Amino acid sequence: MDSRNLGEGLGGIYLDNNATTRIAPEVVEAMMPYFTTYYGNASSQHGFGVPVEKAIEHAREQVADLIGAQHADEIIFTSCASESDNTALWTALWTQKNKNEIVTTKVEHPAIIDTSSFLSNHGVIMHYLSVDKKGDIDADKFAALLNERTALASIMWANNETGNIYPVPRLAEIAAEHKVLFHTDAVQAVGKIQLSVKDSPINMLSFSGHKIHAPKGIGVLYVRRGTRFIPYLHGGHQERGRRAGTENVPYIVGLGVACELAKAHLTELDTRVRALRDKLERGIVATIPECLVMGDEGHRTPNTLNVAFKFVEGEAILLMLNEYGIAASSGSACSSDSLEPSHVMQAMEIPFSAAHGTIRFSLSRYTTEAEIDRTLEVLPGIISRLRELSPYWNQNKPAIAKADHMFDPDSQERRA
Amino acid sequence: MWDYSDKVKDHFLHPRNARVMPDANAVGDVGSIICGDALRLMLKINPATNVIEDASFQTYGCGSAIASSSALTEMIIGKTVEEAQKITNQDIADYLDGLPAEKMHCSVMGREALDAAVANYHGKSYEQAHDDGEIVCHCFGVGINKIKKAVWENHLTTVEEVTHYTKAGGGCQSCHMRIEEIIDEVWVDLEKCGVPRPGYVPTPLEGIRIATSTERPAAAASAGTVSSTAAEASPYLEKVQKVLQEVNDGLPADGSEIELKDIQGSTVLVVLKGPLESGMMGEMIMTFLAKKLAEADSSLSVKKAD
Repeated sequence: MDSRNLGEGLGGIYLDNNATTRIAPEVVEAMMPYFTTYYGNASSQHGFGVPVEKAIEHAREQVADLIGAQHADEIIFTSCASESDNTALWTALWTQKNKNEIVTTKVEHPAIIDTSSFLSNHGVIMHYLSVDKKGDIDADKFAALLNERTALASIMWANNETGNIYPVPRLAEIAAEHKVLFHTDAVQAVGKIQLSVKDSPINMLSFSGHKIHAPKGIGVLYVRRGTRFIPYLHGGHQERGRRAGTENVPYIVGLGVACELAKAHLTELDTRVRALRDKLERGIVATIPECLVMGDEGHRTPNTLNVAFKFVEGEAILLMLNEYGIAASSGSACSSDSLEPSHVMQAMEIPFSAAHGTIRFSLSRYTTEAEIDRTLEVLPGIISRLRELSPYWNQNKPAIAKADHMFDPDSQERRA
Repeated sequence: MWDYSDKVKDHFLHPRNARVMPDANAVGDVGSIICGDALRLMLKINPATNVIEDASFQTYGCGSAIASSSALTEMIIGKTVEEAQKITNQDIADYLDGLPAEKMHCSVMGREALDAAVANYHGKSYEQAHDDGEIVCHCFGVGINKIKKAVWENHLTTVEEVTHYTKAGGGCQSCHMRIEEIIDEVWVDLEKCGVPRPGYVPTPLEGIRIATSTERPAAAASAGTVSSTAAEASPYLEKVQKVLQEVNDGLPADGSEIELKDIQGSTVLVVLKGPLESGMMGEMIMTFLAKKLAEADSSLSVKKAD
């Protein structure tokens, strides 16, 4: 195993499924004919177009079935969830004159947060709902932010870092009572929890294929019938005039199959995968002192575990895990381009002594018990090794007579 | 994932001299848990010869912070204090076969720990020995002297590079203009010393405002809505909005605009936009606005928001 060159068949333990997932072999197999045999354009009026158009419509039904949409024509295929999110925000502003406010949360994915800050620089008034220390939001506070100038409320269904599930059906009801359009970024919820858009007044929903074992480069925007809509991308009649661009047929077919597989594996995710996640959590808490489980343990997606290891830094943990071929991710400053800890941890007001040491483990239906056991075998050693190096960890370390300063993890001091 | 050299990886996975030295006679503590890295450097200096006979470290931080600390101890053992102090952050990076640009601040931290240890050896506290100067970056607590030194020693030309080396400017970014000024100041001196300055790119201007609906949302927004919850609860809100709407309606359509920022007690905080932002017109508008607000309610006063 080469720890700098990992992938399926190359070894390694992949526990970063909230970032992206392995493409299911059944998905690849279903896509292949649309690279080779069926290369026609779905818009063509000849025999090359017919099977392609049929394939797209079949995939649309598979997608609608997974998310519980009443009509397949409510599904718009996009290039990614970021495109879906951008489209949702813009169409809400474009279709409603005199409404220029958007309500969202402080813990959204950058696809919403960064788009929001762009919009706010251009005259849109943004309201960001704060979260408590467990990362949860308050429905009453949400209701209080809605008014007659609110163009859209956009609340994620599940959080990518903590796995927290938000009460989207209830929030959508509240928005509807205020006659406010409701959108949800459901990238981390689709395929992980049971959901049904037809049962609550959700106007729009975004998700992407690559989080549910389809390839990268394919996303979905669900738009409920009756929701006023102006396209984000102009230039063609595809998707009933709602998203221009020749359909990415192989990827659409792949996404359809991935959705069908996701639905078939929902129970497994909620039972076997959840049990593995819980085993990992219990094992970590039992063997490693001074660690905190992030998020709300009462309602998280079944595959996600986020743990803060106090007094050590996340990137260092990831590097050492990677030496064993174990892949996870971190909310620490050093593991990103930014110099600050993740905006989700900051919104939850996690102390810096923990925020820099958060590690997210995210499982999938391909995760095995042996992989969890192996992770539990090496992790305590990694943390204790890094704590031996850390000046904030003073257990069993001799004192130094000449030191005129103490490293205090709760201090606000900055030296140089 | 960061692309670390094999040497960085080696020093991270097998750090040299990583231990507590209880009988150290020089201890240098730098960094902060808030900023995400901290380093304690411990030295044994022979008082007779001034030679650093032993060095060890404790580091909280990422892979390159640990590797830089490890490298520093290896580089200074056997050197006199004076020789060791000639080592620059670039020397530490070179010893490790380079660091990613974004991680250069790790080598700077190593260099600072050495200074702090030498000060401690001479019986000076960190505060006595350390002159931050004016604090430029409040997010990471970085002073002007550290920025000047990094620009001077490493010939930095952009704010981004300064952030990579010192972290300054890596948070809220409000100090970016000040950092540009400091870069310019240092380069005046560098050029006097015969260092040619590579061409530099001015900061791009803010983009153009685009309306998102067919109405004028920006103007309507400024008068109609305010994001502060304090202002929303203010008993004066309605009166203030009415006055602002009137005054805004009378302004030329050249981007001039008064935006309501907050209402604190009976003080109205506003932001002047467009041509009003500076100059005489802005001052006149503030006087006019104060008069109009006093007419609406005698207890109201107005101030420009910071």
